[in-house]
Amino acid sequence: MLEDVITAYNEAVFDTDRERALKVIHDAVDRGVSPEDVVFKVVIPAIEQMIKSISESFDANLAQHFMTSQIAAEVTEEMLARFRKAPEVVGHIVIGTAQGDLHSLGKRIVIGCLKSLMIDVTDLGVNVPPEKFVDEAVARNAQVIGISAMMVHTARGENGCIMVRELLRKRGLEDRIKIIVGGAPYRYDLELYKTVGADASADDGITAGRVIAGLIKEVRR
Amino acid sequence: MITGMDRLAAAIQGKKSDRIPVFCNLIDQGAKELGMPLKEYYSNGENVAEAQLKMRERFGYDNVWSLFYVGKEAELLGCKELIYAKDGPPNVADFVIKTHDDIHRLEVPDDISAHPAFQETLKCLRILKSEVGGKQAICAYVTASMTLPALLMGMDRWMELFMLGPASVRDELLEKCSDFFRKEITAYRNAGADVCVYANAFGSTDFVPMRLFRELSLPQMEKDLKPVGIDGVVYYCGGARMNAVLEQVIDRLGIGAYYLSPLDNISEGKKIIGNRALTCGVINDIMLIGWTMQEVRDEVRRMLDAGMPGGKFLFGTLVMPYNIPEENIRAMLETAYEYGACVEEATS
Ligand code: B12
Repeated sequence: MLEDVITAYNEAVFDTDRERALKVIHDAVDRGVSPEDVVFKVVIPAIEQMIKSISESFDANLAQHFMTSQIAAEVTEEMLARFRKAPEVVGHIVIGTAQGDLHSLGKRIVIGCLKSLMIDVTDLGVNVPPEKFVDEAVARNAQVIGISAMMVHTARGENGCIMVRELLRKRGLEDRIKIIVGGAPYRYDLELYKTVGADASADDGITAGRVIAGLIKEVRR
Repeated sequence: MITGMDRLAAAIQGKKSDRIPVFCNLIDQGAKELGMPLKEYYSNGENVAEAQLKMRERFGYDNVWSLFYVGKEAELLGCKELIYAKDGPPNVADFVIKTHDDIHRLEVPDDISAHPAFQETLKCLRILKSEVGGKQAICAYVTASMTLPALLMGMDRWMELFMLGPASVRDELLEKCSDFFRKEITAYRNAGADVCVYANAFGSTDFVPMRLFRELSLPQMEKDLKPVGIDGVVYYCGGARMNAVLEQVIDRLGIGAYYLSPLDNISEGKKIIGNRALTCGVINDIMLIGWTMQEVRDEVRRMLDAGMPGGKFLFGTLVMPYNIPEENIRAMLETAYEYGACVEEATS
């Protein structure tokens, strides 16, 4: 029966049909599927399925990324409130857009996915100075800093990732905190993340979830 | 002497010329050209015109721009705050639309040409027209009604309204943005723009699924363009890919030029467009920052090999990032001039 739920939910998400996706979930809960199973056996596998198809060069478009993450976050939030005991949190990330950059959609998509993957997120907003990324990461015990930048000058600029890296180095935090970047310039130049001193980048918000989970594991080891 | 306009006209008609037309979109570089901070540079249309003319003269490509920065369109609709950088384009820092009520209140100026925020653009266009009018392609940048809301409320909130509704509010905003688009393109044309780049990220299936492209994007683009016509209009998805929709756009809108994404396969795009319109092959100019001169040359040659057979081809850039070394700009252009020579007549 769970199989049918997964298929129906996936199809609705793929069609960017929020109403239908929510109905599938609510019907399942009404029929006795536990909130835990909804999250761990439907929502997360659906995200993983999407990651898999993207990596197999199926072209998901931005609207699908957006809706996948929005619906997943919405369902997870609703289900979490009904969990019998609080789930184990995988790790913590602070995320924002680079200084001078006000493009917030990429960040939002990434955040939605992370929520349903049980990764705690602190949203630092837009136009974030490098010091704030580091200070907040330390204050919240985050394993990862996420920086979104949609323009070349904010992706490559000295007050973006480059300075965050510099601060981590100076404060001896490089083993404890990893940096992930994303946004258009990194998609047009696949090596750019290395140039600016990041540990990783992800081409889309859904894949970002998996990469970030990997970075968290690395730090926790 | 053959001018940029001659080359463009020849390419559009599939006629012989000395070489393919080459569009090089240097925008913020104008400030460097005049040795000025960007904010000062953009405060006066004379600066922009002077730098556009100087850079074109120095590099020899075939177009000049009346675009200051895309955020100007938000200023025409009431945006009061931009954020300036020292080495990149200014960005909208204050969104005109913060609530749905702001959408109801949004007013489109009747006459864009009379708007205070358009006066420096007009000044710039006047100079460009008197200096190179009819000789070099004078370009204008006009954002499609479906993408303009991103400038007014942020891409984040726009995507939410677009995908999740309420549809009535979405449609009200689209209606106003389409009205603005038609008035803006008219103002640009009246002021002497030859080429109007019609920018629409939502005209790409990188952004919306094919179903929404058919149901929403195509009819909305028709609404934008039908009343004002497609003269001089270039289809451009902001750098996003378009090969997957070319057939439908040509069929439904009949636009005469397609400015591909660097991520589109040029020969595939050319094959689809064929003789029906001008194919513009576009270099991944973000890579120009780090490539060696040899890598630049190789890439330009690869692109021309893919796009030139059969004629009706233009070589172009996106919005060139500020930090591209000048030697790479030269390497790109010289290769395009050299290998773009001897344009064959289009075979019908
Ligand atoms: C839509 C668009 C516009 C629209 C809307 C802009 C807006 N306000 O949002 C319009 C037409 C208005 C526009 C204007 C401009 N644009 Co524009 N635009 C685009 C376009 C097509 C998409 C950008 C976008 O919103 N994407 C949405 C995001 C969410 O999608 P994404 O990048 O795929 O994000 C995914 C991944 O990157 C990843 N991700 C994102 N963030 C993060 C963070 C982390 C931590 C991780 C892991 C992953 C991750 O996940 C996301 C979701 O799947 C891109 C080209 C392109 N194809 O990408 C150019 C682009 C971003 N624009 C560009 C430029 C230059 C501009 C202007 C500055 C031009 C100018 N001179 O004025 C203006 C700025 C306007 C302003 N803000 O004031 C350039 C930037 C490069 C450069 N040269 O610096 C681009 C790349 C186009 C190009 N190649 O020339 N633009």
